[in-house]
Amino acid sequence: MIPGNKDTRDGILFSLPFMIVFALFMIYPLVFGFYISFFQWNILGTPKFIALQNYLDLLKDERFWSSLWHTLQFVLMTTPVLLILGFIMALLVTGKSPLKGIMETCFFVPYIFSMTVVATLWAWIMQKDFGIINQILRILGKDGVSWLTSEKNAMWSISIATYWWTAGFNMVLFTAGIKQISKEIYESATVDGAGPLQQIFHITIPLLKPTTILCLILQVIASFNVFGQVYVMTGGGPAGSTRVLVQYIYETGFNYFRMGYSAAMSYVLFLIIMVISVVQYAILGRRND
Amino acid sequence: MRKRLIAIIALIVLGSMMIFASPAKEKSAETSGPIELKFWSLFTGGDGEFFNAMIDEFNASQNEIHMTNDMVRFDDYYTRLTTALAAGTAPDVIVLHQARLINYVPSGTLLALDEYISDDMLSDFQSAPLEACRMDGQLYAIPFDVHPIVMYSNKALLEEAGVSEIPQTAEEFLAAAEAVKEKTGQWGSLIDNTTGTYKAYTLTRLFVSLVNQQGGSMLTDDLSAAAFNNEYGYNALVNLQMLVNEAGVNPNELDYDAAMNMFKLGEGAFYFNGVWATGTLEQTEGLEFIASPLPPFMGKSAAWTDSHTFAIPVQKNQDPVKVEAAIKFIDWMTANAHLWAKAGNIPTRTSVLEGAAFNELPYRADYAAAVSSVIPNPPTAAWGEIYETLSDLLESAVTKNEDPATALNNMENTVNEIISHY
Repeated sequence: MIPGNKDTRDGILFSLPFMIVFALFMIYPLVFGFYISFFQWNILGTPKFIALQNYLDLLKDERFWSSLWHTLQFVLMTTPVLLILGFIMALLVTGKSPLKGIMETCFFVPYIFSMTVVATLWAWIMQKDFGIINQILRILGKDGVSWLTSEKNAMWSISIATYWWTAGFNMVLFTAGIKQISKEIYESATVDGAGPLQQIFHITIPLLKPTTILCLILQVIASFNVFGQVYVMTGGGPAGSTRVLVQYIYETGFNYFRMGYSAAMSYVLFLIIMVISVVQYAILGRRND
Repeated sequence: MRKRLIAIIALIVLGSMMIFASPAKEKSAETSGPIELKFWSLFTGGDGEFFNAMIDEFNASQNEIHMTNDMVRFDDYYTRLTTALAAGTAPDVIVLHQARLINYVPSGTLLALDEYISDDMLSDFQSAPLEACRMDGQLYAIPFDVHPIVMYSNKALLEEAGVSEIPQTAEEFLAAAEAVKEKTGQWGSLIDNTTGTYKAYTLTRLFVSLVNQQGGSMLTDDLSAAAFNNEYGYNALVNLQMLVNEAGVNPNELDYDAAMNMFKLGEGAFYFNGVWATGTLEQTEGLEFIASPLPPFMGKSAAWTDSHTFAIPVQKNQDPVKVEAAIKFIDWMTANAHLWAKAGNIPTRTSVLEGAAFNELPYRADYAAAVSSVIPNPPTAAWGEIYETLSDLLESAVTKNEDPATALNNMENTVNEIISHY
């Protein structure tokens, strides 16, 4: 360090406002949540230490496992589709179409709406008795579909709303990735007689690999944390068949006030997401180098 | 340049003076003007407008107390209330469901009211709803209403189907519902059975009622286990399943809002909901209906119920003046509950129940009698979770017509598991 240079002190001083807020609202709850997961606590009373009982309980809790399974279903239903949709959208808006400006706006606009707006909108669109989709189906002489009230369809309906809402975000990432690919590569490919499809499969997709990995990891994390759409659109129904883990964590914590148990489940979810992300990164990232 | 700087500083100083000046103003108002009280309301449904009108009328009726009403979305109400109680930032008066008292009283967050309330006021209350607010001999809340589940019948459809009497047994009900379906082409009954805005609570409410009508109960006397996996539970479940499946007189996958809408549109003859629906149904043009206490379908009269109660949170520095004002507010609200009865709810004070204003309202007097056969909610902190979870399990059993014995086993195991966590 240069004598008289106060960089370190100033650095600490300038980052203090952020660090205080960060410690108070992120670090402290994180540590406290882990601590309380070894207790039985209803917020109002005194916490009672029960060691690992919460973790042992959740191994036997049928609703925990079914919620985890529903979450996994949602991850599998949304991740591939959102990646492919985002990629196709990115191809469209980086292509030569004169409509690409309009398309880019249309694709991205849903993403700026808040979750509540999107979910409420789709819940009305898909309402069984007076929703617009079923109204149209009836005009066409077909039977209405139980979009949100049948166990077969409900998770798909939530997924469809999610596609519409978040595909635009992946599009932005892919667009940025595509724009980084040097034009010369495409030009020389054209000279060599490669068609548009060949260019996509042999140039764009291989060169986009880092973006794809980023999108994949972000998407898996986001899908694992799904809550709002489910909560607003189906309330976890019908008969709890779309209840996802974050919703169950919320319900046990803030409806039934079993804070310790709720915290224990949060840490299990955290562990699952961390392991999956590390594995994904290790497998896909290594080959990239 | 310098002038501009001075101007900016002057503006900032002026601005901050205005910011700091406003709370000071409020403080002075508090000492001289009316006592300011804060209330959190959970009434966002059809009853909300009636409640807000009552608050306005209370404020207009006197100038000693001013009540500010802050509406909280029902789904979030208890979350917000509990966190506020934990943080010591709860308002001066709150509304609580009687069934929820057990979640708050043991932690000492509610003020025991015995010493603040006159015997005159207490003796005016019906004893059943008042006793339900007592725990370990102390009074922690004042009942504002009782809201049991009742049966609504569409007059025109019953007439068209040739049903002249309101059915009183399960057999009569099925026969009437089938007659309606056959002769009018509309649905016989509209029991919501799937999750929409709300879970399939109506199924749980009816299940609780039917089990009790046969002399059974949901939990054992010591509240340590489920007590419905027997003949009583079986009959109740089979009956609910039959209406949707074998008999086909009730739509499947029907949610709460849709059931209410269909009844309003005259697409079904019998509809079950809490009395709070009365006010909304009355405002529906062209709908003529009868509201009656839940018939004794399976033996004796018994109906699921709950009750809105007023309570006063314990504050760090409890101001006796505010407590006294809060009691006055509660006194006024319960004594004028005929206004609240407009929404459909049943008042709890004898003077109101016998008063002209209440008895002039249609239907209410008929089903007010139902108060004598209401089923108390099991006083256990686990009941909230049990109630929510049973709604899911009953939804599954009814909409998918599951084997009733298996479904009941599953319900029993789940309830016992829930109880073991509390």
